Amino acid sequence: MQENDIWSECETYDREQFRKVQSERLVDTVKRVYEKVPHYKNKFDQHGVSVEDIKSVDDLSKLPFTEKKDFRDNYPFGLFAVPQKQIVRFHASSGTTGKPTVVGYTKNDMTMWSEMIARIVTMAGVTDEDVAQISFGYGLFTGAFGLHQGLEHIGAAVIPMSSGNTEKQIMIMKDFHTTALISTPSYALHMAEIAREMGVDPKKDLFLKWGLFGGEGSTEAMRREINGAWGLLATENYGMSELIGPGVSGECLALKGMHINEDHFIPEIINPDTGEVLPEGAVGELVITTISKEALPIIRYRTSDITSLNYDKCDCGRTTVRMAKISGRSNDMLILGGVNVFPAQIEEVLFNVDGIGPHYQIKVFKQGYLDRIEVDVELIDANYLDSFGKLENLNQTIKHKLRTVLGIDAKVNLMQPRTLQRFEGKAKRVIDMREDK
Amino acid sequence: MGIKQLSIFVANEKGTLADVTRIFREHEIDIRAISVYDTVDYGILRTVVSEPEKAVEALAKEGIVSKLSDILTINPEDKRGSLNDIFTLLGDNDINIDYIYSFLVREDGSQLFVLKVNDKEKAQELLEKNGVEIIREL
Repeated sequence: MQENDIWSECETYDREQFRKVQSERLVDTVKRVYEKVPHYKNKFDQHGVSVEDIKSVDDLSKLPFTEKKDFRDNYPFGLFAVPQKQIVRFHASSGTTGKPTVVGYTKNDMTMWSEMIARIVTMAGVTDEDVAQISFGYGLFTGAFGLHQGLEHIGAAVIPMSSGNTEKQIMIMKDFHTTALISTPSYALHMAEIAREMGVDPKKDLFLKWGLFGGEGSTEAMRREINGAWGLLATENYGMSELIGPGVSGECLALKGMHINEDHFIPEIINPDTGEVLPEGAVGELVITTISKEALPIIRYRTSDITSLNYDKCDCGRTTVRMAKISGRSNDMLILGGVNVFPAQIEEVLFNVDGIGPHYQIKVFKQGYLDRIEVDVELIDANYLDSFGKLENLNQTIKHKLRTVLGIDAKVNLMQPRTLQRFEGKAKRVIDMREDK
Repeated sequence: MGIKQLSIFVANEKGTLADVTRIFREHEIDIRAISVYDTVDYGILRTVVSEPEKAVEALAKEGIVSKLSDILTINPEDKRGSLNDIFTLLGDNDINIDYIYSFLVREDGSQLFVLKVNDKEKAQELLEKNGVEIIREL
């Protein structure tokens, strides 16, 4: 592991200090939302919990959950705890169905947000010496602006590139001596592909050292692919607009989980079916309570993301709790013939097969009463063209490896390179054509 | 040196062959021989073209994967049983044929055969010793 600085002393608190700050801030947040947000007042009342019941972080589980639906039901500003006058920024999530999720920030929220990002980019290796190219789309999406402020805050030179126009991205990267790339992992892979087509060797012709990826989950296999393609060190960071945007947690250079900014976000792991809080180390759905936000405090938000928590002190010196890579989303889990499968598992398999590219698409449909799955992958290695038998063997290998995670046989479609859709933002890899999911 | 064959990955979709031939046409590459077997989802197009290296490059630019390989090209005598003699000879010497296709050279009317065998050097030596003409250049 490489040595690097720790941005804030809060990242090295002992458990007792965390407990103290979390308890104080939680009590204050609960009081505030009860007074200022009718939604929470009604919900707490219905749930039979009063503000006085919450005395410390130990009482957290007495509170009701907040869900994505609550944002929709209170669209656009119903969950805000401050008058509009105090809002200095809006963001919104894309929202694949219906209205977007709207979030707001006060001046203090913006300062806090920059501080969270400063911690995360510092732990990912970035310093004021670096030139950071932000290839997230600028706009309502929180990713670009979030990283932007935090990177400026630590003194890095920011290139607000936005996503798209990939050839120009590569040109700027080369000419501005970009040392840190900020994007979704799938877009990073696409950019590497374009760079090679342009005759640019990312390892020789570019200056990249760090890659900070987020906006969608990724696997270890994908990290290896990105590291190999760019010659950089990829870290992942995590967040969602409902909670703040990026800045909830991030990986340090030890690469052993994402450090949660615990003095601002309290994590819990629950059983997604029963809502029961699970013990330390157990795998389940991540629930986050924000304890310092002014405009939009959120109590026990169900993220749908599946992970686990590790409270051991990290090799990097930080003591903040680490969450494991997201292994799936409780709502993007595919149920295939009764077997639960996360797209991330399929991805892990595909990334470990030689001869095929990093892009893929999963199609699920019904044939009669049976679930069928097709996986499209791109053949990139010409050596499989020696004989049809070699191609068939490759197909069988993929099929066989997929069977071990899927439990059923997938049809594997080998395709020409560049025929599958490329994504500049979050990748949409799964098409579920079954009527009732 | 010998004649080079281009193997191109093709998906069994409408227009894929035309994609390949369009690229050849745009780069003024002539097709001498072409062969595709019937397959379900995808297959391999084998072709002998006028400028194979240029063809690989042109295809790669459009994202089409292709591979160049040396192949055995013969001009069997135009008489009954000559192919039978050749196949028997190869078989007796443990040489397997993976695939074979033929094409006509308009200029002199000769019919050439492209052979993919498991041991090209051995096959070539054997055939030459037995009086089969090996084509090294088109």
